Amino acid sequence: MANHDFKTRLKIAKNKIKSGQTKEKTQQQSSIGTAFKLSTELVSAVAVGTIIGFILDNWFGTKPWLILIFFFVGIVAGILNVIRSAKRMQK
Amino acid sequence: MATNPMYQFNVYRIGPEIKLGEIDLSFTNASLFMVISSVAIMVVFSLGSKKNSLIPNKIQLIAELSYTFVSKMISDTAGSKAKPYFSFIFSLFMFVLFCNMFGMIPYSFTVTSHIIVTFVLAAFIFIGVTIIGFIKHGLGYLKLFVPSGVPIVLLPLIVVIEIISYLSRPISLSVRLFANMMAGHTMMKVFGGFVVSLGVVGGWLPLSFSVALTGLEILVAFLQAYVFAILTCIYLNDALNLHH
Repeated sequence: MANHDFKTRLKIAKNKIKSGQTKEKTQQQSSIGTAFKLSTELVSAVAVGTIIGFILDNWFGTKPWLILIFFFVGIVAGILNVIRSAKRMQK
Repeated sequence: MATNPMYQFNVYRIGPEIKLGEIDLSFTNASLFMVISSVAIMVVFSLGSKKNSLIPNKIQLIAELSYTFVSKMISDTAGSKAKPYFSFIFSLFMFVLFCNMFGMIPYSFTVTSHIIVTFVLAAFIFIGVTIIGFIKHGLGYLKLFVPSGVPIVLLPLIVVIEIISYLSRPISLSVRLFANMMAGHTMMKVFGGFVVSLGVVGGWLPLSFSVALTGLEILVAFLQAYVFAILTCIYLNDALNLHH
């Protein structure tokens, strides 16, 4: 009787672990963490693009143009970053 | 002075001034807390691995739990090829975690709330991962910047975008950790200031907020260390298994 009882308890515990693991995978991070992650991805790419544009402008002496172009390229790269990490989260 | 919420981030010199040419190498409170967290990690893990009893005591349990946690994280995100880099990721995770957690002690100093600390960590990871990628794949690692199936006309634009996206990795990695830690600690200080200025009559509401924020901050401290380590694993995965 006691043995039977233990077996059912073991089964329940194993099932719990299984369902717990799937739950853990889907909500690995809190949603504020997710939001913060996506926003830094976007902003950092824009910052890098602008810095590259600034440096290249100083090199070639084409003052406003390259920084403008690289600013927009940076925005595109940021959006690409966000899409990539969002895809990674859905996995 | 102490009511300024940013005052807690001041770095000041402890002991004598050491100068090497133009570089200031003096021992500061930031270095003190880095030393404290590294020593704490060494103490915990040397005590935890000294006696391998079948029924673990508390310290051994902490050491074993963190070991399995990190090793599972690496095998889940970067696969079996990343096993040789376990020791690096483990020490990185532990260092960030201990620095964050020591920062939660009142009157202590949070090392990771300074962007230069997190940026040096992130830049080190970034350069290391890039070198590993070039060693493993040679010049083929540059294929990371050229996605397959792109028309020739668009290719220069796409390559520039990919390079910017790649270069933005250390910045987003470091800014995330730094901003989370700094924002949380500033907020706690601001609510603590409200408690003092509102006194016995109205101070209870911000006090309860402070208690809740402390719990949240401990969660954030753990979560950010975890995110830092897991992103390192993801970047390592990109370098080891080249696919796009």
